[in-house]
Amino acid sequence: MSAIFSPPRQASIYPALAVLALGAALPYLLHGGFQLRLAMLVWIYAILCMGFNLLYGYAGQISLGQQTFFAIGAYAFALLQLDLHWPAALAFIGSLIVCAVVALALGVPLLRLRSHYLAMATLAFALIFYGVTTRWIDFTGGSSGLAAPPLKFAGAPLGRMAVYYLVLAFAGVALLLHDFVARGAIGRALQAIRDDEIGAAALGVDVIRYKLRVFVLAAVFAGMAGVAFTIVSLRVDPSMSEFHVLVTILTIAVVGGLGSRFGALLGAAVVIVLPQTLVRFGDLETLIYGVFIVVFLVFLPNGLAGLPDRETWRGVATFLKMNRGRS
Amino acid sequence: MEKLGYLLLAGVTNGSVYGLVGLSLSIIYGSSRVINFAQGDFVMLGAMSAVAFVATAALPWPLAIAGTVAGASIVALALDYVVYRPLARRKAPPLTIMMGTLGAAIAIYGAALLAWGPDQQFVPALFSLDPMNLGPLVTNSQQLAIIGAFAMFLAVTWFTLFRTRLGLSIRATGVNPRVALLMGIRSERIVQFSFLFSALISSVSGILVGPLLGGQIGMGLLLTVKGFMAAILGGLGSPFAAAAGGVAIGMLEALMAGYGTSLYAEPAIFLIILLLLFVRPYGLLGDYEAQKR
Repeated sequence: MSAIFSPPRQASIYPALAVLALGAALPYLLHGGFQLRLAMLVWIYAILCMGFNLLYGYAGQISLGQQTFFAIGAYAFALLQLDLHWPAALAFIGSLIVCAVVALALGVPLLRLRSHYLAMATLAFALIFYGVTTRWIDFTGGSSGLAAPPLKFAGAPLGRMAVYYLVLAFAGVALLLHDFVARGAIGRALQAIRDDEIGAAALGVDVIRYKLRVFVLAAVFAGMAGVAFTIVSLRVDPSMSEFHVLVTILTIAVVGGLGSRFGALLGAAVVIVLPQTLVRFGDLETLIYGVFIVVFLVFLPNGLAGLPDRETWRGVATFLKMNRGRS
Repeated sequence: MEKLGYLLLAGVTNGSVYGLVGLSLSIIYGSSRVINFAQGDFVMLGAMSAVAFVATAALPWPLAIAGTVAGASIVALALDYVVYRPLARRKAPPLTIMMGTLGAAIAIYGAALLAWGPDQQFVPALFSLDPMNLGPLVTNSQQLAIIGAFAMFLAVTWFTLFRTRLGLSIRATGVNPRVALLMGIRSERIVQFSFLFSALISSVSGILVGPLLGGQIGMGLLLTVKGFMAAILGGLGSPFAAAAGGVAIGMLEALMAGYGTSLYAEPAIFLIILLLLFVRPYGLLGDYEAQKR
């Protein structure tokens, strides 16, 4: 069957549900607290990267400030509980609103910028946030951060399993939302904006509004990941908005596959678990991240999620042939 | 008054380094439309190679400089062959190539972490660090050498771009790579030259600024960011606007630290740049580029 004439594959919700079912079964397949904690980290980074994937993979708008929204969500969650004594559920909603409002305020002026300028502006925002959180010690606890109160249910702190299922529930919401956006008309509108803004506008896509929506949505995803991280680690500190978090986000996005439905999840699983399984990886980790980004960008532009596509292999073959021809 | 003079001198020194990184970024951007996120790491490589060649291997300075430049050139060629070319030939958008250079920057940082470790290292000075009087100002020859190198590289860049055939080819490639190719200009070679030339500028400024900033493998990122901001403040289109942007940022930083709050000087600078981008999305001198779109 030739690829051109086959009808577009019907996007279904079942793969997402299957992933969640696997997630629900995971605690029974893993051994010990460390593996469970790792699984939670995978879900948290998957949430974070799904937002980035919608923003950059689908809509083509780069942000080097996603780690900042990750930290803003976490700080808001901790501070609303500590300073204003809000209950956790209310603080969770409040922190998502904080993320959305900050993203809206930032997005309105910034989304006029294109490519490199947008990258720079979001990076400047990230550096401002990091600079202020490390210096404003009275409010943010400086570089040592804040201790977040543990979640309680009926007076007793939640057990490890309960926390896992809570994180999984966050991831489930994120996954379904991401999937809904990605396979529907919104996803196609975003892709149209990525490929050609003027063309998209000509087809009736409200470019500015969609860009702003996806920017806010990505920030809310990041904020949700931040809240989940706070629930798991019980700490908030400026290192959450540091450059290495951004590096991890980018590596996951590129390794998993930009603009794909399950790339963020695949990427998070590989990039978070792989360094843990290899002993004495420590100092090599950064180098390997960098090499991974380059190798995947060059050889597998669609990441791991693109491996089943025939296009990928044709691309690799063309690349090899081309180099033989020219050298 | 003396304080002002001192601050301005410090500002011009730091600004020269930012300006040189901005100049390097702008040269590469001019020929390839790509921001090289690894540019600051060439400054880091310059400073750290000075540590390796002069302090560790005890080589004489001329050999050390030659070795540093050679090392930086090899990295630049690798960047071109491994990251830029495969992506550019696949017609990847500039932002994807930028992600590639960011990956390369992370890889260079990771390799440097293995080679030099995370600690700050003492970088030997090429010129004397002893204080000397220049009129009412106290300075040292290393500082003056940086400002001198800034002026020299500006002149060399101007001469290359506007007074040589090569420069004509570079500018033609910048205007339209495809048409330039049709006119017999090998665009890929031009991009390669711009990577090499930028690596030269950045690594030499690394050797010079190392003793003042201290050599630390993480210094590359902040320098890339400042150089990037310099280029954006000026407008990416022109290397000289980028260099001017660098000096402006250096001065602003020094004045902020001297008269305002030194604690919040760094976030405040980024805030100013961000606000500036709100008002002028293509930079202060960026009208040329805005029109081209």
